Amino acid sequence: MRTLSPRLTQRIAFSILFAATLFVILPVAFIIGVILKNGLGAVNWEFLTAMPRASMREGGILPAIVGTFCLVAGAVLFALPLGLCAAIYLSEYSKDSRLNRAVRLAIVNLAGVPSVVFGLFGLALFVGFFRFGASILAGSLTLGLMILPVIITSSREALDAVPGSFREVSLSLGATKLQTIKYAVLPHALPGILTGTILGVGRAAGETAPILFTVAAFYLPRLPRSIFDQAMALPYHLYVLSTQVPNVAPKIRYGTALVLLAIVLLMNFLAIAIRSHFRAKKKW
Amino acid sequence: MAAPILLTESLNLFYGNFQALKNVNLSVAGRRITSIIGPSGCGKSTLLRVFNRMNDLVEGARVTGRVLLDGEDIYAPGTDLLSLRKKVGMVFQRPNPFPISVFENILFGLRVHQLAGKSKDRLREIVKESLESVLLWEDLKDRLNGLATNLSLEQQQRICIARLFVVRPEVLLMDEPCSALDPLATARIEELMQELKKNYTIVIVTHNMQQAARVSDDTGYMYLGELVEFGATQKIFTTPRDKRTEDYITGRAG
Ligand SMILES: Nc1ncnc2c1ncn2[C@@H]1O[C@H](COP(=O)(O)OP(=O)(O)OP(=O)(O)O)[C@@H](O)[C@H]1O
Ligand SMILES: [Mg+2]
Repeated sequence: MRTLSPRLTQRIAFSILFAATLFVILPVAFIIGVILKNGLGAVNWEFLTAMPRASMREGGILPAIVGTFCLVAGAVLFALPLGLCAAIYLSEYSKDSRLNRAVRLAIVNLAGVPSVVFGLFGLALFVGFFRFGASILAGSLTLGLMILPVIITSSREALDAVPGSFREVSLSLGATKLQTIKYAVLPHALPGILTGTILGVGRAAGETAPILFTVAAFYLPRLPRSIFDQAMALPYHLYVLSTQVPNVAPKIRYGTALVLLAIVLLMNFLAIAIRSHFRAKKKW
Repeated sequence: MAAPILLTESLNLFYGNFQALKNVNLSVAGRRITSIIGPSGCGKSTLLRVFNRMNDLVEGARVTGRVLLDGEDIYAPGTDLLSLRKKVGMVFQRPNPFPISVFENILFGLRVHQLAGKSKDRLREIVKESLESVLLWEDLKDRLNGLATNLSLEQQQRICIARLFVVRPEVLLMDEPCSALDPLATARIEELMQELKKNYTIVIVTHNMQQAARVSDDTGYMYLGELVEFGATQKIFTTPRDKRTEDYITGRAG
């Protein structure tokens, strides 16, 4: 039996790897391409700043944009302090490896919970038990729970990456543990924490299921007035436009998808930019 | 000789079951340079870190015996660790300024001790004094806002020394402060130590016997956790009493 020459084997292996890579990129490029092509024509100033009219068949998507913004801001306001405190406790204080392992397991599981389960959980806890009703508050808290694992994990990684010598120097200068965390650890972990938070924001902005039962309004052509108000949100609005309202111009659907996609991608790029900026500056 | 500033009495230190310091009795005189030499792993760093109680951070580390600083037992219950560490500053083996500006590095200790509320001019004055005492002011006065981590290793180590001064220490502990530096930089740091000795008490750990002979007034030789011999540097290096010391300084051991 003849064996293939090493050079040929090399070629074949390279081609397969290259094809696999291409296969990953293609669908992404295709989705973005289609949405851009069909949606770009719809996106203009009026689309972004006007209320929907004629049962969402005309006008803009302002309330959905504002709603998504409120939900995401609320989610971060809730999840960042909580997640950061937990991360600081786990990484700087807790020496008990059993607790650490339990929490890590909990985080992994939390991250694996399907988003529709978060939605139902939010419905039961925040809407029902706490009587917040379907509201921005309930939706934000639900989204906040969902992004908590991302925030805790990335904050812990960022804290663990700060060299031990920073803590040692600070303590040897007579700083308390808390001062050491505040002045010698947190500032240097901030970029990583920020990156994780922004990734969480991107995720929260795009999810439908968690807001479905907890906040999302089908059609509410006004801006929310308080955190106990219902609100429209981009992902749910897109779902409604695509499946619940007959005779919507495709342009409007694609335009909505484009806005949502742009927000999510922008967040991801921002996270990448922050990370690479600080990685280039970092010297330890 | 004046009363010792640092004194250990029957000092033992255990890392779990391992005894790293064995019945160490050492007295460090004020405004002198005391060097600790000995082979790797004999407990030099451990001894140094007894003096600012940095060993407390090691889980399972236990100390018996007494350690007196200015006559007060720093291991007595109720000792204020924060003011102890203000009094006893430490310079580490690898220069380790924070990756922030020179200015902020120097003021780090101040920030921690909340001596804040000082005017911008006053802060600059403090930074100036600190940098002057390590002979860096002229070099860096126009680069105070630059990253400290971009400086040469020697300059970084000087900054680490200067950063101690803002909290007004009495004792400077130096754990192989020159081991990351080239010979020229080492010589200049040694010169600086002679300068600092006028105002501070210095304890230096070094692997480098020539360095100990050059810079220090007193020398202690450690071996396997014991302080084998301690005395005036000149005596230790010319007429050691203990066979083990002699073997080490003549290069037959270690
Ligand atoms: N955190 C620790 N836990 C357990 N053992 C330790 C710890 N730190 C040091 N030791 C042990 O204590 C002994 C003394 O260590 P120490 O670092 O004081 O030695 P050293 O003389 O400074 O050595 P070197 O010259 O290599 O720096 C060594 O045997 C070391 O293995
Ligand atoms: Mg050492």
